[in-house]
Amino acid sequence: MRCKTHLIQNTFRNSIQIVNDNTTQSDKPILKVRDLRTSFKTGRGTVTAVDGVSFDLYPGETLGVVGESGCGKTVTNKSIIRLLPNRVTIYDPGSVVDYRGTNLLGLTESQMRAIRGNEIGMIFQEPMTALNPVFTIGWQIEEALQYHTDLNASQRRARAIEMLRLVEMPNPEKRIDEYPHQLSGGMRQRVVIAIALCCEPDILIADEPTTALDVTIQSQILRLMDGLKEKTGTAIILITHDLGVVAQACDRVIVMYAGQIVEMAPVRQLFHNPKHPYTKALLDSMPKPGRSGHQKRLPAIEGTVPSLFDLPDGCRFADRCQHRRDKCEASLPELVTIGEGTQESKARCFYPIGDAQAVGEAS
Amino acid sequence: MSAIGKMMATREAQKLWRNKSALLAIVVIGIYLLTALFVMAGGITRDTCDSIVGSNKLPGFFQQDSPEKRYENATTKFLSKIKRALTAEDVTAALKEVKLGPYHAADKSPAELETLVAKIDTLAAELDESPNLDIDPSILPKLAELEAAESQLKAPLSPWEQFVHNASVCLGTDSQGRSIFFRGIYSIKIAIQIGLVTALFSVALGAFLGAAAGYFGGWVDHVVVWIYTTFSSIPNLVLLVVLAYAFTNSAAKDTLLPVYIAFGATFWIGTCRVIRGETLKLKEMEYVHAAQTAGFGPIHILLRYIIPNTAHLMLINFSLLLIAAIKSEVILSYLGFGVKNQPSWGIMIRDAGNNGDVVGGFFWEIGFATALMFVLVLAFNILSDALQDAFDPKHV
Amino acid sequence: MWAFVIRKLVYNIPVYLAIIMLLMVLLRQRDPVAGMLGKNATEQDYINKREELGLNVPFFVQYGKLVKSIVTLDFSQKVWNEPGVTVGEKLWTAVPRSLALTVPALAITTVISIFIAMLSAFYRGRWIDRLLVFFAVLGMSVSFLVYIIFGQYFGAYKLQQWVGSPVFSIHGYESGIWNWPFYMLLPVLISVIVAMGYDTRFYRAVMVEETQADYITTARAKGAPQSKVMFVHMLRNAMIPIVTRVMITLPFLVTGSILLEEFFGIPGMGYVLLSAIRNNDFPVVEGFTAVFAGLFILSIIATDILYAIFDPRVRLQ
Repeated sequence: MRCKTHLIQNTFRNSIQIVNDNTTQSDKPILKVRDLRTSFKTGRGTVTAVDGVSFDLYPGETLGVVGESGCGKTVTNKSIIRLLPNRVTIYDPGSVVDYRGTNLLGLTESQMRAIRGNEIGMIFQEPMTALNPVFTIGWQIEEALQYHTDLNASQRRARAIEMLRLVEMPNPEKRIDEYPHQLSGGMRQRVVIAIALCCEPDILIADEPTTALDVTIQSQILRLMDGLKEKTGTAIILITHDLGVVAQACDRVIVMYAGQIVEMAPVRQLFHNPKHPYTKALLDSMPKPGRSGHQKRLPAIEGTVPSLFDLPDGCRFADRCQHRRDKCEASLPELVTIGEGTQESKARCFYPIGDAQAVGEAS
Repeated sequence: MSAIGKMMATREAQKLWRNKSALLAIVVIGIYLLTALFVMAGGITRDTCDSIVGSNKLPGFFQQDSPEKRYENATTKFLSKIKRALTAEDVTAALKEVKLGPYHAADKSPAELETLVAKIDTLAAELDESPNLDIDPSILPKLAELEAAESQLKAPLSPWEQFVHNASVCLGTDSQGRSIFFRGIYSIKIAIQIGLVTALFSVALGAFLGAAAGYFGGWVDHVVVWIYTTFSSIPNLVLLVVLAYAFTNSAAKDTLLPVYIAFGATFWIGTCRVIRGETLKLKEMEYVHAAQTAGFGPIHILLRYIIPNTAHLMLINFSLLLIAAIKSEVILSYLGFGVKNQPSWGIMIRDAGNNGDVVGGFFWEIGFATALMFVLVLAFNILSDALQDAFDPKHV
Repeated sequence: MWAFVIRKLVYNIPVYLAIIMLLMVLLRQRDPVAGMLGKNATEQDYINKREELGLNVPFFVQYGKLVKSIVTLDFSQKVWNEPGVTVGEKLWTAVPRSLALTVPALAITTVISIFIAMLSAFYRGRWIDRLLVFFAVLGMSVSFLVYIIFGQYFGAYKLQQWVGSPVFSIHGYESGIWNWPFYMLLPVLISVIVAMGYDTRFYRAVMVEETQADYITTARAKGAPQSKVMFVHMLRNAMIPIVTRVMITLPFLVTGSILLEEFFGIPGMGYVLLSAIRNNDFPVVEGFTAVFAGLFILSIIATDILYAIFDPRVRLQ
């Protein structure tokens, strides 16, 4: 894999320039996920947590992945970077995770190590536990540089300070020798981001990076990630269950339900014109500032997510869906394209919302 | 108890019931418990354990005596007792007294017995002419005749008596001629009894003190921590031995009381630590705060909100302490500070070691005691593991 | 740090005083004089003997005397059962013998079981892990006594018969470094085998807990190779419970192993202690417990300090 020799120049701003020049908005996806199917061997048999997920990720974009807990968003992304426990995880032979022309699922563990942290970085939900408590934050940033660059010790340290400055850590020269427990949650998350970005990855996978943080810190972190994306051209996959985060940070959105993509659309389209009843229900359950919220209760989605051990034959959302018809329970709908151009979205539904024809046909 | 009942219905408990080795362990422990109950109900008494059933050490099914040995058996033991009785003043009464293992004198008149004895003596005299019985196969019929005559001296055993006798020699006898099998089985009761009593007592005491120390804090906490630091600063075995030894002059010296007290005084500490730690954690839980805000008293909160939520830890500790008690009992008894005047695995191991059985290559006594203890302790170890796995997976 | 040490020491003074008192009270449940004098002794003999042993004065005076001798580190009391020997001499000859047995045993056990535990945690859930755990549980279920008896029988007695000359001592002791393997190696090996089951399981649980920690995932996401994850990230964190466990066992090194010393006739601390208890030799039991309890308290304090060294989150307060 490529070694980031240009980092040896040791001046980060220059290197940003270099990367930035290369990343003009391109139409070629940097990551192509095709028919990803990830199963786990459990005591109660094999369970498929991700069932046929396909999407593209373009350079410089932020792709949101939303859904309830257990819908497969984290498994999808850990499959991409292959961080799931080898022993119990089965990737379907037909699945492809194509990064720059290489199928990551076919790489050996040591080839994969050269990708992790180097080409693809990852940020986790719990900044409180994601850092190793017994090493200084400087050590932990430098460790990643040690694996992926040829920098010597003092260069690594300089680079680590630079990274801390980049993630807007106050007083980085001093902070670099502190231990994680000496930092607040927001500061720790900045360190985690600094580790993930220090080798200038093409892709950053952020798994609920703001969930454990205060609301004010949340938006700071989101703005920070957005700014870094602008500077470095890194594509971000942002996993979240918070539609507010999606609205603030994402360009495109994937909605997942029970291991499958149920809707994929540009962020505006998703919020203004949701096609899948599940997306609609999610949006309706969100408080909106304009509405006279005093009298009306927020609608919740009735029922629960089906167990992955006992999935229905038909649409997985059918028994919670208000627009359910007979056909929904009989067979599983495909992910179909609806609309064109900026209006284009994809939904896994026989009777997408706002589709007059489909509704008319059924009634 | 209801807390444990509830606990067993939870999802964590499902994990336990799915664990096949844990179920097997529970079955094994059940068998031991039933055996202990059987012994306690009088199935095997101390007399049974102490009675001498034969001088042959090897188990019944391995017993393959040489003709020389058979001759000796038939012409000494029971025969000499009968002879002595026949010369007594009150022959009938003396005959009633004759007893060797399960055998009594046959219900025959003294005259008939005299005839038999005379016959045996004649046969014995004839056999005595042979220089070495072991290398002369021609004497075998005569030897059989001699043995048949000798057995007529004995009252026939009832099928039950025969069964008991077979059972008692099935694993051989110890150096004093006592049944290894019965002593081993009787020791199950001793082990289970000591295990249950000390584990129950220690868990109850430890949980109570631990919960109180954790919940009330302040001086209560200081006192409890102070007590257990004191107890744990004396080497465990020294404390056990000194405690057990402190009773040697009291009336309780031959009972199990010294053992109970020695174990009880040391075993509660671990449980107390764990429960105190858990209580400190639980105290900060919101439902406890809610209960405090609702105005419940501290005793009510302790009994209703804190202690039930430590039930899983108590169960795990109970199981671990049972193991510790059984293993310590063996060592203490071995050293002579534990069980006295009745069989226990420790005493059996000591006897086997001290009487030269092991050096002589006779492993039946130490082997049986070890095997019984091993299976029980293994079952409890597996159960403790499974309990820990199910209810306290984060435990180190 | 010194403030911490001093505060802890002061805090433990009442604990220490209580230990001494508890032990004295327990010991005095028995009357040592009767055993020493035999059946024909007169009332006057008893009184004289009591006076000679210092048992005639009230309990608290005896207690005060003992505390004073401990505070002044004066171990010159006479041993009751061996004329002319002081408690100090008894201790200083016996303790090194025990250490010669227990220190190598602890070191070997700890190193081997950490290694096995890491192996087990690395292959968690696979057959090799299951096998190791199974053997650990199996090993824990056999009585210490049985290990010793069979260890002695096969390791010393039978081996001697097979080889034709003694390989390991069956019973007895001689000091000197060259004599160590002959007298001590077999007891050390038995001790290692006995302790291994417990230690392996404990360390495995520690390692397994660490492998599930989030920082391990972070390290892997950085591209750290498995060896770095195991030996740098995980082991460094696991050091905290490991050090605690080793520290807590340190005071027990001087008690020796009563059973091993009994069986192999090594006149170490366990052996001396047991015979002192049997013979009601109060000064030996008291002097020894005083030393042990002191070491125990010191090791608890040392554990706290080491904790702070290994875990930056811990502050001595």
